[in-house]
Amino acid sequence: MSVLLDVKDITKSFKLKGHWYHKRKFNALAPISFAIEAKKTLAIVGETGSGKSTLAKILVGAEKPTSGKIYLNGQLLQNQRFKERCQHIRMIFQDSGTTLNPSLTIQELLDEPLTLNTDLDEKQRRQLIRTTLQKVGLLGDHMNFYPHMFSGGQKQRISLARAIILQPQVIILDEALAALDPSLRSQMINLLLDLQQQMGLAYILISHNLGIVRHFSDDVMVMSHGEVVESGKTLEVMRNPQHKVTQKLMMSQNFQIK
Amino acid sequence: MNLLDIRNLSIELDTPNGRVLAVDRVSLSIKEGEVRGLVGESGSGKSLLAQAIIGVLEDKWHVHADRFHWRGIDLLRLTIDERRALLCRDIAMIFQEPMSCLDPTTLIGEQLSEAIDSKQLSGYFWQRKKQRKEAVIKLLHKVGIKKHSQCISSYPHQLTEAICQRVMIAIALAGRPILLIADEPTATMESTNQGQIYRLLANLNQLKNMSILLISHDLENLTHWTSTITVMYSGQFVEAGTTEQIFNKPMHPYTRALVDSSTKANLQLPTKSRLMTLPGSIPILQHLPIGCRLGPRCPRAQQTCVSAPKVSNFHGHKVSCHFPILHESPRKESKKHKAVKHKTVKGNN
Repeated sequence: MSVLLDVKDITKSFKLKGHWYHKRKFNALAPISFAIEAKKTLAIVGETGSGKSTLAKILVGAEKPTSGKIYLNGQLLQNQRFKERCQHIRMIFQDSGTTLNPSLTIQELLDEPLTLNTDLDEKQRRQLIRTTLQKVGLLGDHMNFYPHMFSGGQKQRISLARAIILQPQVIILDEALAALDPSLRSQMINLLLDLQQQMGLAYILISHNLGIVRHFSDDVMVMSHGEVVESGKTLEVMRNPQHKVTQKLMMSQNFQIK
Repeated sequence: MNLLDIRNLSIELDTPNGRVLAVDRVSLSIKEGEVRGLVGESGSGKSLLAQAIIGVLEDKWHVHADRFHWRGIDLLRLTIDERRALLCRDIAMIFQEPMSCLDPTTLIGEQLSEAIDSKQLSGYFWQRKKQRKEAVIKLLHKVGIKKHSQCISSYPHQLTEAICQRVMIAIALAGRPILLIADEPTATMESTNQGQIYRLLANLNQLKNMSILLISHDLENLTHWTSTITVMYSGQFVEAGTTEQIFNKPMHPYTRALVDSSTKANLQLPTKSRLMTLPGSIPILQHLPIGCRLGPRCPRAQQTCVSAPKVSNFHGHKVSCHFPILHESPRKESKKHKAVKHKTVKGNN
């Protein structure tokens, strides 16, 4: 299989307040490289402050990396060209309740990315919204509803619909499953796995829950203080954790794989 | 002896469209020195139940119970003041978000010393201040905060969430409670910190023989720390039993689905296979189904499920379902079945 997303030596450092002659820098990310194929899932685990979310923001284009390059299908992604990037890499956030605009209906919410990025006319857009809503397990008529009329699980499905409506290749799930109730969470996992098979999506999953990571991902990357301390096939890493950080994470969740 | 014994507790809410039964006849009992888990998804009424126990619900909620005993004392017969005095001496509660529950304008040390009852201090009035300070430091050490002087002189926003939660536990411990109610103590916390908080609670339970009611929405996180578990769904009692019974031999279809959908319990499943799950989502308070509220989502539902099931007891494993999943050997079951048939035949004759 060919490599879909190839990340090479991404770094990020923030300038801190300091004296003229003592300019201080905080390195949020050490050089990080990885690659994902289509239909595969990469999980990123680590404690808070380990740079997971910074990495996600850089991939989606919300932040500029200090150095390093990102290739999608062999093509270099420029930092400034959001139009190209937002069609291929989309993101779902942790709290779907606060990421949907409460004053817009679902149709208007989903219409926005389409009007900005595609040349479809109104009728085609409406049809696309209808089919996308059906794809994530909602009804087409739901598009006239406002976000507050949905439950938490349904809101998360709407965020997913907003992510897949542009036919992306990579979706970043930043703790997207953490805030859901257990039964809704497993529904969502099933849905995500189905969509991965249908559309050939690659996922980047950022999560604390090692149970989900084991079930959902092919590869795993353990981060600590902006560095990748361990990476490899999920099952191999979990069967035989080498680094202290990985061992500590697995201990704290009483997690063992024979 | 049962510390807390609640039978058929109902909580009703006044709405413009009449009264809504938010919690429908839930029973809960806690023995001395026990860690009981209370599990339910959001909207299942577990926090309401906890608030009803310590009596901090607003006036719009109406609480009824067939039995509501605390160490043999009938709480329903006491006046509000008597009840409050009794409960605030014996029960303490810690809340979900420690950051928002602590006073942001007051130093941690002041908040802690406020919680210490002056009856606990012995000595003359000029010794009191020093004693109080010593008691605060002792409490902080008890919950595992070593840098006490730094902690005492800081505001809540200067501390991390895990330390704030420890301070909350310290405040709860100041009254030397017999029962500690922990309402999702580790929500929005990292897994390493979660483990620390649970370990602290387990230590307190073993060293001080303090009973704990641990409330959580996630069954898989609780199983390691509890001895008995009660499961609720949408305000109704579902199942209660020891942790092994609930986790290994769930009888109610809902508990079964919870256990099956947990990724941690099903490590033998191949990766990326479909997880077991119930269709649909939790009903909202305005549109509750009649009878068993799981009915529309339940794979075993039949016509009788439109009436609420009674609680049946299988050797201490209580389940509220018309068609529980029985794990007995098939031979025994058929025997039972035959016996019932025999009786009915006799009756007809």
